[in-house]
Amino acid sequence: MTSVHFSFSSAFTLGLMGLAFHRTHLLSALLCLEGMMLSLFIALSLWALQLQTIMFSAAPMLLLAFSACEASAGLALLVATARTHGTDHLQNLNLLQC
Amino acid sequence: WILAWMGLEINTMAIIPLMAQQHHPRATEAATKYFLTQATAAAMILFASTTNAWITGDWNIPQTSHPAATSLLTLALALKIGLAPMHFWLPEVLQGLNLTTGLILSTWQKLAPFILIYQIAPNTNPTILTSMGILSTLIGGWGGLNQTQLRKILAYSSIAHLGWMITILHFMPALTLLNLTIYIIMTSTMFLSLKSLSATKINSLAITWPKTPILTVMTMLSLLSLGGLPPLTGFMPKWLILQELTKQNLPILATIMAMSALLSLFFYLR
Repeated sequence: MTSVHFSFSSAFTLGLMGLAFHRTHLLSALLCLEGMMLSLFIALSLWALQLQTIMFSAAPMLLLAFSACEASAGLALLVATARTHGTDHLQNLNLLQC
Repeated sequence: WILAWMGLEINTMAIIPLMAQQHHPRATEAATKYFLTQATAAAMILFASTTNAWITGDWNIPQTSHPAATSLLTLALALKIGLAPMHFWLPEVLQGLNLTTGLILSTWQKLAPFILIYQIAPNTNPTILTSMGILSTLIGGWGGLNQTQLRKILAYSSIAHLGWMITILHFMPALTLLNLTIYIIMTSTMFLSLKSLSATKINSLAITWPKTPILTVMTMLSLLSLGGLPPLTGFMPKWLILQELTKQNLPILATIMAMSALLSLFFYLR
């Protein structure tokens, strides 16, 4: 595994761990999601550069556009949660327990 | 892979406003939880395909051949459809939605990840698939036992059915698609009949017989079909799957799956 591969893999894994183990705020989960998308963007761009073809060059831009849409949807949901639940603390998201 | 990922993202983003439409706190919370899990799973899918691209240089979906990439893909797709051990979001999210949105969530949302699973099926690790399948059927059976809310019961039944589908994926993928089709039909029937009865708890199911006795009978029949009793249609995929499993000399696996089907049948009968 080359060093570039290792670096973006570790960046993604750190973001994933942060997303999985977020403790108090929903916003930190969204931030980790954005970090993961960013590491994927870097990975795709470098891979397209390594292949020396121009075929996949549009892919990182598409990823960026979609991750922006995803982040905005997440933020809208965060605002909705703050409106109905008061804060974005994760302990408040307990209405649906068995 | 990039187009597959875009399709999944569009799917998620389209469902989110439908789920959050109600402005009830439960619906908003369900939409938030759903969004987080699906976004995580989509990012993991893209990461697995990128890892595969770095290691093997292949970007086509059916040629995803590196074992680490396919294992990660299987886990991410299982998170997307709600297989155990990544099923914890499904009962709560389904509980927070109204019945129509829950119907879309249970049926249409399972199609896209299943097509991806079907395409990468020859390269995946069979141990992961079968263990997730057994775990899903067992958890779907046990988890639904203490439920009174109908949407949670349907969530656990969905987990169990998906477990059946995943178990047979390695041996004969055509059976997976057959099971998926029949499951979609049966679950749509259940959801639509519950919607016309406007029942969300078991107690409200018990008082429906004065209103529309025919619909009550049909609901019961479709519940039994979900449980997989002969001579109803729901028995056919289970029978074929068990037959295929015994052909591959896995009788213990078949017995475990049949026993866990009994568990789900019990809470259907209630």
